[in-house]
Formats: sequence, structure tokens, C-alpha cells
Amino acid sequence: MTKLKKIPINRWIDLGVLLFLLVFPLFTQTFRVEMMGRFIAYVIFAISLDLLWGYTGLMSLGHAVLFGMGGYMIALCYSMQGGVPAFMTREGINAIPSFLVPLQTPAVAVIAGLLLPVVFAFILGNFLFRSKVSGVFFSIITLALAQIFKDFIINQQKFTNGFNGLQGVPRFPIDGIPLSKIHYYYIILLVAVLVYLFCLWLTKSRFGKVAVSIRENEARLGFLGYKPANFKIVIYMISGFIAGLAGILYTPMTNGITPEDVSVVASTAVLVWLAVGGRGNLTGAIVGTLCVNWAQSLLSESFADYWQLILGIILLAIVFFIPNGLVGKVIEKQHNFRINRKRVKITAFNRSMKGAEV
Amino acid sequence: MSVFMQQFANGVNLAALLLIAALGLVIIFGLMNVINMAHGELIMIGAYATYFANTVLDLPFWVAMIIAFLVSAAVGILIEVIIIKRLYSKPTETLLATFALSIIFVQLVQLIFSPENKYVAMPIKGILKVGTVSIPNYNLFIIAVALSILAMTGVLLLKTKFGKKMRAVTQNRQMVECLGIATSKVDTWTFAYGAGLAGLAGAVIAPINSVSPTMGGAYLTDSFMTVVVGGVQSIIGTALGSGIVGESRTILAGFSNEVFAKILVFLIIIVIIRFKPEGLFARERR
Repeated sequence: MTKLKKIPINRWIDLGVLLFLLVFPLFTQTFRVEMMGRFIAYVIFAISLDLLWGYTGLMSLGHAVLFGMGGYMIALCYSMQGGVPAFMTREGINAIPSFLVPLQTPAVAVIAGLLLPVVFAFILGNFLFRSKVSGVFFSIITLALAQIFKDFIINQQKFTNGFNGLQGVPRFPIDGIPLSKIHYYYIILLVAVLVYLFCLWLTKSRFGKVAVSIRENEARLGFLGYKPANFKIVIYMISGFIAGLAGILYTPMTNGITPEDVSVVASTAVLVWLAVGGRGNLTGAIVGTLCVNWAQSLLSESFADYWQLILGIILLAIVFFIPNGLVGKVIEKQHNFRINRKRVKITAFNRSMKGAEV
Repeated sequence: MSVFMQQFANGVNLAALLLIAALGLVIIFGLMNVINMAHGELIMIGAYATYFANTVLDLPFWVAMIIAFLVSAAVGILIEVIIIKRLYSKPTETLLATFALSIIFVQLVQLIFSPENKYVAMPIKGILKVGTVSIPNYNLFIIAVALSILAMTGVLLLKTKFGKKMRAVTQNRQMVECLGIATSKVDTWTFAYGAGLAGLAGAVIAPINSVSPTMGGAYLTDSFMTVVVGGVQSIIGTALGSGIVGESRTILAGFSNEVFAKILVFLIIIVIIRFKPEGLFARERR
């Protein structure tokens, strides 16, 4: 019982959210299940950024690029299943280019979708983190990256169908029959739980503690003989892997992927979820993503014109009044409560001791 | 060769535009060390002010330019006093708050002016022909504006009392405070000047590109890139940086296409960050 009490309150929140998501499909229509499945894929995406930003303090403004790499790989794979897709023939390509042939196998596409962001993060990380520039430059470069990547996707019309994106991606068909939305929902949820457990383990490990120390005091970590650059690169790669995974899961759920999903707007959206939920405790990523997206889907139905305005104001309010986010605030409250309770116990104990002396 | 010369001329034009857009940023980011994600929106506000003054109120273009400067500077003062002042030395919070502002500005302008593109008539018409190269007269005007803003900023920073205060605050804030100068006011006016320059950039851009609520985003990254290449704290560096980014982008675009040129310039910038993190033209600072 005493051990149970030591569990921080946010882990109970995580458990509550999991139970809610487990029973959610039983009480709602299919389109809501699809929506929630999308949100869970977003949760995985937000967790990947939480590792990078929340724990390590590296604020990426272009994380959707890594997400999109995963998504586009799987979307390309399924758009090439029935021979040369229409958007390629329109551009005068009559046979699938040799470098895309392996992608026709879904397994290869999944592996490519996971490895591409990792390799990319490794290369970019090697350039940015080994340099003596402050963390702000990482944010600026990733921002530019998101913009250029979107331009690139639109420009490569013959491979990516440009502005319209790749549509009609089935939910991982087995023998030609796609998974049902409900089944696929549970698969996404299962992967999300695994990712969550992995990140929990990672952040509790020594490696995770080093990551947090990079956020807190990078110079001191250097004095202790660690090489912060190496840790940053590895964290960025892990984060890229998880973001790619989120993209792979997301694309079949929404039926496709468009350049909007990899843009600056998408990259900053995930930042907002994390800021609202709270960074550096995983729960914030989960709660923030679900709350903001839920609110968005509710509010943008009735106030489509004002949603962005509301979002901006919410973000501003969060920065000024609860900079640690909603979950951060709850954890802080619980911490203060526990300290107070301990103090009350100690004073009571002292008083009783005094009584005994007399 | 004539293609190259034409691209070179276009590059000078793009460089001038980048310089105007980036000068405001180098003041705010370089001197004050504030990351202002709403910089692109300040440019956008300047462009809308120009549209309103020039197209709706039918005022002459140079008046519209002044109005754009003043409007953006006023918005800058508001941003600085209400938001940034409370967040100094908190880079993450500043970034998030100014990002929130940029979302709010885009949406507000969209609500006020509708999301459709607006157009500002070209104030200077005609084309100058030098051999095979043709340059619109307005481009020459942009280059002139860029150079005069550069000169103006240089004079402001180096020759005026206010500029001295600005530089002193960036070098040693506490010392300046000890000398009895209200650093908080210096911050506000520095920010206002940077914001005003962004508005001026918007005014100059308005006639060549259509004015839309979301136009700011592209200029934000372009100006950041320019500043990074030239060296964050150097005005001259920014001028040379804008030359390099503008020229390499247009010349490369002449040989392949614009997106590949952008990617190449991006790669060059990453390499610069790796091997010359203080920027290409930064002076040694003590």
C-alpha cells in the first residue's frame, strides 16, 4: 500500500486514459472511433517530441517532417499496389522507378518508414549538435526544414502526387481485406501502450537521466565527462523512430497523407499539444494531445473561423499562467500536498514527543 | 551568359528583399536575443497597412510605407510591453508566446480583411534594359530602399545616443542600469524599431507579391536563414548574408528549379552552422 501511494499522480491519469480508450469503441459510432484512432497516433507523435523537447530540451519546430517520412513511405507503398499509379502516368512515368520497386512490399515500406527518419535525424543531428550553437538554432533550422520539406513534397509531384497527397491508403490489408476500423484502432492503441512503456523505461534509465541533465545544465554534464552531443543525436534518432512509427500508423487510419501533414503548421500543432498538456512527464503529451484535438474537432465544427484564434489565446494563457502545462500543474499540486501532509505529521509527532517529556 | 546575368540581377533583387526583411530580425534576435516567431506577421501587418493606405485610402505609396512602419512599430511596442517584457531570459516561453501571437495575428487579419489575396498597385512602372538584362524599375527602388535602411540602421546604431544605449544594453545590461539608464525603455524602443523595419519590409513586398494573411511564414524562415549565414550580431554580416542567400538561390534556381535551389541553400546553411557557427562575417567579440 505504501508503495502504491508513492506512484506519482500522473501515472494514475495515464491508466485512466488507457481504460477510457479501451472501452471507447464500445459506446460510440465508427467515425468517432476513426477520429480517436487518429488522435492516438498523434499521441505517439507527441510522445516522440516529448522525449526530444520535454526531456532533453531540444525544441524541434519541424517534427512533422519525421512523422511525414513514415507516413509517405507507407502511402507510396499502397498507392503502387495496383501497378503504376495514375499520378505517375500523368507525368509520363510508365514503369515504377527502380528505387521505388522495393517499397511495393509493405514490410519494406514499414522498415523504410522507420529507418528514414532515424538516418535523417542522425545526419542532421551530427551537423547541428556537434556545432557550438545554442539550442535556438536547432529550432530555427528545423522550422526551415519543415517549410522546405513541404515544398519538396509538393514539387515532387510525379512521386508524391503533389498538393493532393496520396489518398486511398488501406488499413494494412491481409489477403486483400483491410483491417476493420475497430481492429485497427486497437492495434494503434497497443502500439501506443508499448511506445509509452518503452519511453517510461527509457526516461527512468540512466540514459534518460543524462538526457534530462542536458536540458538542465549541458555545460556541467560536459565537465562530468559526458559528451552531450552524442546523447542528443541518439535521442533525436529515437524520437525520429517513434515519430516515423506514428506516421505509419496515422496514414492508413485517415486514409491518406497530404503535404499539410508534414508542414510547419502540423509541426507547431504538436508543440501546442505538448505545451498545453505539459512537458517532460509523458502524461502531458497524452492528455494535451487528446484534449486539444478533441476540443478542435468539437469547436471547429461550430466555430471554424475562430478555432485558430482560440488556440492562440489558449497557448498564450498557458505560457503565462501555467507554464508547466495542465499535467505539470497537477503534479505540482500533488507534490505540495504531500510535502504539507508530511509537515503536519512531523509537527504532530513533535508535539506528542513534547507531551511525553512533560 | 545572358541567362546568368539575368539571374544575377534577379538575385540582387531577392537579396535586397531579404535584407529588408532580415534587418528587423537582426535587431530583435541579434541585439536583444529575443526569438520573435511573429516577425513574419509583423511583415504581413506592414503589407496590410500598405494595402489599406495605398489601395483603400488612395494615399501615395511613400506615405503608405511610413504608415506601414508606424503601424508595425506600434504593434511591436504592444508585443514588447505586454508579452516579451515578462519573458526575458526564458527563450522557450518567448518562442511559444510569440508563436501564439503569430497564430492570433493571422486569424485576426483573416477576420478583418477576409482570407482573399489583396493587391497593391506597382508604384513605379517601367523596365530598365542593360544589354540583354532587363530590370524592372521597382526592383531598383527596392535595392535603393534596402541600402538606405541599412545606412539608416548603421547611423542609428553607431552615431546616435540611442544607438549607443542600444549597443550598451546588449553588451552589459547591469552596468548600463547602474549608470542610470532605463534599460526597459531601451528594450521597448529597440523592439519597436525592429518591428517597424519588418513593417517597412511588408510595404516593399506588397506590390510584388500578393498580400495574404499567411504570407509571413515564408519570410520568417528566410530572414532567420539570412541572419544565421551572416552572423547573428552583425548588421553588415546580415547584408552580406542576404547577398549570399539571395544570389545562390536565384542562380541555382536558374539551373534547376526553385525548390532544389532552396534545398541546396538550406544544406549550405547547415554546413555553415557546423563549421562556422558564429556566422560567416561575425567579428571577434570579447
